[in-house]
Amino acid sequence: MNFIKSIVFRTKVKEEKALHLSNEREEFTGKENESYWRVVKKQFQKNKIAVWSLRIVYLFIIIAILADFLANEKPIAVKYNGNIYFPIFKEYVVDLGLSKWDKELVNVSWKELNYEWKILPLIPYLPKNIDFLNTSVSPFDEQQVISKKWKHWLGTDALGHDVLAGMIHGTRIALLVGIISMGIAALIGIFFGAIAGYYGDDQLKMSISSIILYSVGFVIALFYAFGARAYVLADALGNSFGNFLLELIISILLFLGILLVFQFFSFLLKKIPFLFQPITIPVDIIISRLIEVVVSIPRLFLIISIAAVVAKPSIFMVMMIIGLTTWTGIARFTRAELLRIRNLEYIEAAKALGYKEFRIIIKHALPNALSPILISIAFGIASAILIESTLSFIGIGVPAETITWGSLLAAARQDASAWWLAIFPGFAIFITVTIYNLIGEGLTDAMNPKLKQ
Amino acid sequence: MFSYLLKRLFIFIPTLLAISLFTFIISINAPGDPVETMLNQNVGGDGSSGEKLTNEKTYQTKRHELGFDLPLFYFSFTNATFPDTLYKIPKKAHREMLQRLSYKYGKWKNVSDYYHSLQKLENKIVEIEINEESTLPLRKLKDAVNVLYTNYSEEKISTTIKNIELNILQNGLLKKNCENEFNNFINAYHHLLIDKAVANKYIPVIYWYGLNNQYHRWISKFIQGDFGISFQDKRPVSSKIGDALKWSMILSISSIIIAYFIAIPLGVKSAIDKGKPSEKLISTGLFLLYSLPNFWVATLLIQFLGGGGLNWFPTFGLGSLSEGAPFWDRFWETAYHLILPLFCLTYASFAFISRQMRGGMLDILELDYIRTAKAKGLKKRVVVWKHAFKNSLMPIITLFANIFPMAISGSFIIEIIFSIPGMGQLTLSAIYARDYPIVFTVLMFTAILTLIGNLVADILYAYIDPRISFTIKK
Repeated sequence: MNFIKSIVFRTKVKEEKALHLSNEREEFTGKENESYWRVVKKQFQKNKIAVWSLRIVYLFIIIAILADFLANEKPIAVKYNGNIYFPIFKEYVVDLGLSKWDKELVNVSWKELNYEWKILPLIPYLPKNIDFLNTSVSPFDEQQVISKKWKHWLGTDALGHDVLAGMIHGTRIALLVGIISMGIAALIGIFFGAIAGYYGDDQLKMSISSIILYSVGFVIALFYAFGARAYVLADALGNSFGNFLLELIISILLFLGILLVFQFFSFLLKKIPFLFQPITIPVDIIISRLIEVVVSIPRLFLIISIAAVVAKPSIFMVMMIIGLTTWTGIARFTRAELLRIRNLEYIEAAKALGYKEFRIIIKHALPNALSPILISIAFGIASAILIESTLSFIGIGVPAETITWGSLLAAARQDASAWWLAIFPGFAIFITVTIYNLIGEGLTDAMNPKLKQ
Repeated sequence: MFSYLLKRLFIFIPTLLAISLFTFIISINAPGDPVETMLNQNVGGDGSSGEKLTNEKTYQTKRHELGFDLPLFYFSFTNATFPDTLYKIPKKAHREMLQRLSYKYGKWKNVSDYYHSLQKLENKIVEIEINEESTLPLRKLKDAVNVLYTNYSEEKISTTIKNIELNILQNGLLKKNCENEFNNFINAYHHLLIDKAVANKYIPVIYWYGLNNQYHRWISKFIQGDFGISFQDKRPVSSKIGDALKWSMILSISSIIIAYFIAIPLGVKSAIDKGKPSEKLISTGLFLLYSLPNFWVATLLIQFLGGGGLNWFPTFGLGSLSEGAPFWDRFWETAYHLILPLFCLTYASFAFISRQMRGGMLDILELDYIRTAKAKGLKKRVVVWKHAFKNSLMPIITLFANIFPMAISGSFIIEIIFSIPGMGQLTLSAIYARDYPIVFTVLMFTAILTLIGNLVADILYAYIDPRISFTIKK
């Protein structure tokens, strides 16, 4: 908790620094005829530690993508009854519904078939496989295995799950948590931050008619998209996460569609002069308050209480919850940057050219606000991974059958002598969090013009 | 300054309202029936009509006592299939089943007929005097009725009905007693199926309930300082939180004090020594410490210094000495138990604070006035501690804002790992047990403390740096 909090403090401090440095950015890019991003890249590459951290991230990504081929109960390739099979590939195809298993290969124990030859994955276990003969064995214990190939290199837990297989597949979850939750957080954060920063308290003017229409439209859209579909959504969630996502997207589209209809009405109403008196809306105050509300609840409390309420726990749900609760940092960065950018001359020029505001924000303002956003995303990924592993460590929100680094580490709490369960998964969490933090630091330094030599 | 404070305090109100609404929404959506949790009822039972009646009665009284028989909020915004009196249906599971049915078929009147006929059937069943050969069918019938109470899928309902018809009602006694009621029920069900109004769910309705609702009742009690009673053991929430808070405060505050005492000198020193190899070592060490997940460190400590390894430290609870033992004995026993948790809590914040301190100091040491001070021949120590120190405290103050909420929630994970009966354990067990009065109160308090912490930090900023002013705004 302490630690997660510290990341929050740190982003706050970083925010101030990033603001400070972005103010100085123009002058320093102006002097040399190099693009800003090139300079950043060059600076980043000078930082050996950050570069190596990035390489380790690439390595993790490769492990995550190839997890099925690195640790699997099925062989990569076999010759069986005169035919050559690629069972792991085949499984992907079958999962996609494009093919079916041959009759003699349905429900077989891949370990016991008599092959003419076979290529096994590096680790011949899945995280869920149970080895009854070797429960709670340490890496140095005598293990009852057929050959060295079947050895549990990092030991097993109390049920006989292979730790190394769990860690390889856990990499996938850890990286996904970082990407998906920060993806959600970035979408929400950039959206709110951009609106608050670009319009501030004085720039968003709306006529009375559109305010009324939009609020009515908002309520009605909420009703039809989510209220009337509440049970559809709930049932989909009970079904599977993919199903839920599909229904959610339908709901969101419905919501936007209804709002569009109301926008059309407001266009018609503009003809009435009485209703067309512009009112300024203080978006900045509203959004800043919203951020304050979210920030003032301790994040871990918030996530735990939501995760405990969710009827059917799933790792994707955890990612969504993390994303929905951690967007505030990114929103603050974006807001602060856009508050600065909106006063620059080129934005005024774009306005004078008659560009739509949507286009100005997306194409002209946001690209220049990217650097602090990137920094906070790097730190955000570190803290998201940490939160997820904390949750699986205490066993909230993540279903029991999903094996993550945190849940592997939690197994060490049951068995006080299983040091291998404490060291390896914890070390994986530590390394991942550290390298993302290092990349964040590297980015901050690279974007700091003061250090340029 | 004063008007600024007033303004800030004024802004607290909507923020707190939003947080209270949020916690309220979470609590009403939580699975499980709080009244049942509190009564710890064995649903079903085996008993006679008398027992069932008393059960129902205690349930109703308890529900009334807790205020769950009130509407949820000041108004409700739903679709036309739901009646405005839905909250009056006692059991949560039944309510959900009825909501689903009326959502599906559209006419509340039919659904309510269906429910009443089912209730009549149940009441009749309870009245039956059992003879030997109908014990088993009667139990089966009760189970079937319970299935009907909680299921809303057409398939499930019709198979249950068929099951009752073909298997259970073959028993003469049962047939004699409740055939009428059963037929009424089937009629109500068929009516429900035939007389549909599917489009009703697309008609929005707003019901107004007024002030007498659950949220209003809870929030007004909260403001008056009455936080309710825990569903688990019926103790007042305030006393439970008070007990837990004691341990969390001891842990967090001592860890904060230790962390600041080590971190500030270390941070300053590593800033002064910048570039020396010893400093590089310290900085790298601090960064690594800072990145170590504290639940991992806690697990490792338990493994190697605690029970699994050297067995130097206790890893569980606070010791077993009774209240009667001499104070110092108890003190040492507790302190001994707190060493590992304190270490885990301290190292991360200490690493973080020293890094901040170092950063702040480095920025200041580059400034001209420090060079001037050095140039006029002041001793290095005087320059650092007298001239630079105060100005380098800015980043540390940001952290200070978090001390207040940290006292409540800072040691959450560590408490859980070391089984210390503090706020972390209390909240976690409350979440598991759906004990929402506690979760509510904890969330609200941490939120309030965070807001206060931010305010205090802002005031401290102004105190340390007179250039910051809250009165003039451009």
